[in-house]
Amino acid sequence: MNKLRFLILVTVILAVILPGVSAQDGDPIVAEPGQELNMVLLPKTLGNAVFDQAHEGAMEAHEELENPGELIFNAPTPDNAIPGQIEIIESAITQEVDAIMISANDYEQLLPSTQSAMEAGITVVTWDSPVAPEGEALFIAQVDFDETGQVMADMALSILGEEGGEFAILSATPDASNQNAWIEALQTVLEEDDTYEALELVDIVYGNDDPDDSYNEALGLIDSYPDLQLIMAPTTVGIAAAAKAMFDEGLCSEIAVSGLGLPAEMQEFTELGCAPQFALWSFTDLGYLTYYVTYLLATGAMEAEEGVTFEAGRMGTYTIEADPTREDALRVLMGPFSVYTEENIDEWAMDEEEMDEEEGEGDEEGEMEEEATEESDAG
Amino acid sequence: MKLLERYPWLRRWETLLFVILCAAVFINISLSEHYFNIDNLANIFHLSIEKAFVVLVMALVIINGEIDLSVASVMGLSASVLAYEFEKGASLESAISYAMLAGLACGLANGFFVAYLNIPSLVVTLAGLIAYRGAARILLEDRSVGNFPEWFTSFALDDVYVSIPTLLFVLVGLILIGTLVYQFTNLRQAVEEGAAFRFRKPGPVGLVLITVLAAVLVYMLALSSGAFEATTYVFAVLYLISLGILQFTNFGRYIYVIGNNRAGAEYAGLRVKQVKMTIFVMSALMAAFAGLMYAARVGNIRANAAEGFELDIITIVLLGGVSIFGGTGTMVGVGLSLLVVLNLRNGMSLRNINDNTRASVIGALLILSVLIPNWAQTIQRFLPRTLSGDNLTLDLENKEARESTETA
Amino acid sequence: MRRVRYFIRVQQLREISLLLILAAVIYFFGREIEDYYTARMYNRIATQVALIAVIAVGQTLVVLTRNIDLSVGSIVGFTAFYLGDQLSKNPNIDLETAVAIAVGVGATMGLVNGLIVAYGRVPSIVVTLGTLAIYRGLLVEYSGSQSIQFRQLPDWIKTLPSEVLYENFGLDLRPLPAIAIGVMLVFQVVLLYTIFGRRLYAIGSSPEAAELAGIPSRRMIMLAFVISGALSGLGGFMYLARIGTITTDAARGLELQVVAAVVVGGVNIFGGSGTVFGAFIGVILISTIELSLIRMQINEFWKDALLGAFIMVAVLIDTFIMGWLRALWSRTELRRASSVQKVQSI
Repeated sequence: MNKLRFLILVTVILAVILPGVSAQDGDPIVAEPGQELNMVLLPKTLGNAVFDQAHEGAMEAHEELENPGELIFNAPTPDNAIPGQIEIIESAITQEVDAIMISANDYEQLLPSTQSAMEAGITVVTWDSPVAPEGEALFIAQVDFDETGQVMADMALSILGEEGGEFAILSATPDASNQNAWIEALQTVLEEDDTYEALELVDIVYGNDDPDDSYNEALGLIDSYPDLQLIMAPTTVGIAAAAKAMFDEGLCSEIAVSGLGLPAEMQEFTELGCAPQFALWSFTDLGYLTYYVTYLLATGAMEAEEGVTFEAGRMGTYTIEADPTREDALRVLMGPFSVYTEENIDEWAMDEEEMDEEEGEGDEEGEMEEEATEESDAG
Repeated sequence: MKLLERYPWLRRWETLLFVILCAAVFINISLSEHYFNIDNLANIFHLSIEKAFVVLVMALVIINGEIDLSVASVMGLSASVLAYEFEKGASLESAISYAMLAGLACGLANGFFVAYLNIPSLVVTLAGLIAYRGAARILLEDRSVGNFPEWFTSFALDDVYVSIPTLLFVLVGLILIGTLVYQFTNLRQAVEEGAAFRFRKPGPVGLVLITVLAAVLVYMLALSSGAFEATTYVFAVLYLISLGILQFTNFGRYIYVIGNNRAGAEYAGLRVKQVKMTIFVMSALMAAFAGLMYAARVGNIRANAAEGFELDIITIVLLGGVSIFGGTGTMVGVGLSLLVVLNLRNGMSLRNINDNTRASVIGALLILSVLIPNWAQTIQRFLPRTLSGDNLTLDLENKEARESTETA
Repeated sequence: MRRVRYFIRVQQLREISLLLILAAVIYFFGREIEDYYTARMYNRIATQVALIAVIAVGQTLVVLTRNIDLSVGSIVGFTAFYLGDQLSKNPNIDLETAVAIAVGVGATMGLVNGLIVAYGRVPSIVVTLGTLAIYRGLLVEYSGSQSIQFRQLPDWIKTLPSEVLYENFGLDLRPLPAIAIGVMLVFQVVLLYTIFGRRLYAIGSSPEAAELAGIPSRRMIMLAFVISGALSGLGGFMYLARIGTITTDAARGLELQVVAAVVVGGVNIFGGSGTVFGAFIGVILISTIELSLIRMQINEFWKDALLGAFIMVAVLIDTFIMGWLRALWSRTELRRASSVQKVQSI
């Protein structure tokens, strides 16, 4: 397990210092605007607010780069998730688009399609959730997956305090690969770091990313574990449903909810004390960065190789690196986490609201608070 | 109206579907330059091939007056059994046979409850929908199993170059045309009832129709080698077989008779229970096979494979003119409906229309395809001409009359 | 036996059988789970049951007429979103108006279903399979892929689910379960004692006979769909109050849960028999099993299989108990008839 810790350390260090390193290597690659590319942005499902934010980010980049081509946003419904994504990819191949940006519903099942897309000369970039390395050019990682575990452990510790206590995880589906990786990272952190000794993970339940199921699972947890003090939900649907369940039962003062949530959806619960702390990265930024990387790759300005440095508009300079969590895979690490508390939730929710109204014109996102990075440095 | 009387087949459900199909193809061609491209035409089948397989047997189930909501879960279960056995180190051949056995078990269970315990099939298969999916989850938990041997995945993924499938395609075409002629003339009565052979010429419209069909087939033939996956040809063969079973065998006739009037069939000495049992076993076996094909196509299986396919499958069957109350509907209609739905989905997908809207369009089509003929019939009824001495008894009218009494 | 017979009518055998199964299920889980018989567990089940129960009542009316309404999930989703949107735009809307809006929107959608089924003579499964997709599509169009967030809602709806109307022995009666019980009682009475209710049974038992008897079948069927839509609209209101965050996927797949509850509740899928009360017990039965499985902390991956198996066993036992009770019933009936004959002959 030492190896893993080392990897985490390296990743964290790399994440912090890499921009500086690349500056020495030479000038970062800059995109040349105005080239025509038809691109498909393919998130996991329709009807999830975070993916609409990613769409807004991608549209912002689309306009900024003055791409005369089309930015197609399409996704399957949740009951048709994997076959639907395959169909959209195949249809994109038929339409001879230039690039596809995928948040994959499955690590392997999309492989045949993404591979045939690559054979057809289409640039395939994954974001949010990758496919196996042979089916993608690279992966835009929102945050380091191991860091997610760290951040969740930190939040749990700061909510429960030094004396610790029991907490449980409310996840999405049992086979959600992102959530499983994060939970595993969290468990590793808990096991290996004595700082978190007082935290006891009692159960992992699954709400299937359905608000009703998540609500019931959250209530089931508090019934089964009378001493439970915290529900950690690494999914935006689960955290909102769990917070609502605690709110309805009047248990906000006894049982806290935390995890990964959208500021706009969580604002009220944070102010009421139901969800004192939660974290997320900016999906708008993720969409923006993904678009930039894909544009650079598809125009041929950049090759998907380790160590290549490029500039992604307002977000600054990034470097392509080897993915420490997957073999033979490349990634661009966006980061960092934003941790939301009662103090800062207001402005974030407001920002998002403006974004909604101005269709992604606001770029206050750039000035991001880097609390999470500081915290993980400490840990 | 005169035309309709002269050519009764013009009023048939299948004719309506054919017109819709032509319209859909025409719209697709005019809206997307990528549509009429052999790779895309192959994709139309390739991307929904598992649903297409199950549609064939679902048609038999519904004509028999039952329903099977558990098919998608059986698909998931068979794929999961395959993955589970394969993961444990069994050879793929034995894993496949275990998967088919699992399908058989589901079919026997469904059939037993429905046929022998007389519990409504909706109830039984709704419980099956939950339970069989649950069994799949027990087997695979959160794992994902892949790396199936090349020969297995290539079956669903690689284009076939040999010319035998091409020959099969000719066969499909010939039999399709043959069936159209058979269905649209009074050939049937002549053959079945030994009546005087009054082969009615298809007439100008029918000739045009057949010519168009033939032309399309020839065109596809010229291009088909190296474009279609093996599964598509398997589907073509299975389509022919199920068409044969339903339309030309005693078993097929029993399916209709039982679906029409179960009590009557029992009094007539038909083995209703055995027929129902057979159909549910067929349905589950086909679903299990479709599950295997799904595994071959996506190359990797999780317990949620094929989740939610059942409503799409039922929609296609109902659009094919199969009455939900049983007893009516033809394989030709179901085949045409499949083509209509797949083409519409493909066309909209090429225009990047999202899943929800696509489902809405097909839902609206489903309603309108029954509603508009009903309206037309109502209007017709108020016309004095048809009121006096119109004694044409046609299948479409019968169907509607049945349905109107049953819904009303 | 004879005494019991005076209180029970043959139609009520079904409910008795279901109650027996429910008791058995509760006993079983009570033995398996510690602290099972608590007020808390009751409250859980009560809140969970409320939404599905209201929709199941409407579904029962439709199924009684030999039809089915698969569009309920989409109607719930649409009304929940529409109402949430209206509430966030005009926070002054009060409870009554909000319920009226929800019921009105739902009833309109039900009316469309009903018109096409009754007057367009299209089979209900075709119509509602279509509108299931169409109403969901409408929701996606209307929402512009945005979602309704908890903070946008007025305060009264935020606190509605947790209010306590009446409390005794730690058992709360909260607004949402109260709505469900109210709706169930009203429609049980409607079915048993009104002309409308009896006509629904008549239509479902034999459409031809009902037609011949001069029952305005079409209007009745349309009305059943309107009521089902209206109650789904009410369900949309309850969904909004309970969940708070509404996306375009709200209540997706609810229709299968509702149909499962209704058929487990002994409503004949071929129409003509079954009661609202039976469907209500069906909902309680399924929810109890679901929530108890959550409480039992069994392996996550076994839950679906067990739920399916439980439903199947419940239906099976129900079939057998029903058969047994019917036999018992007819025997006592026969005995009574023969004793009456004897008296007469004397």
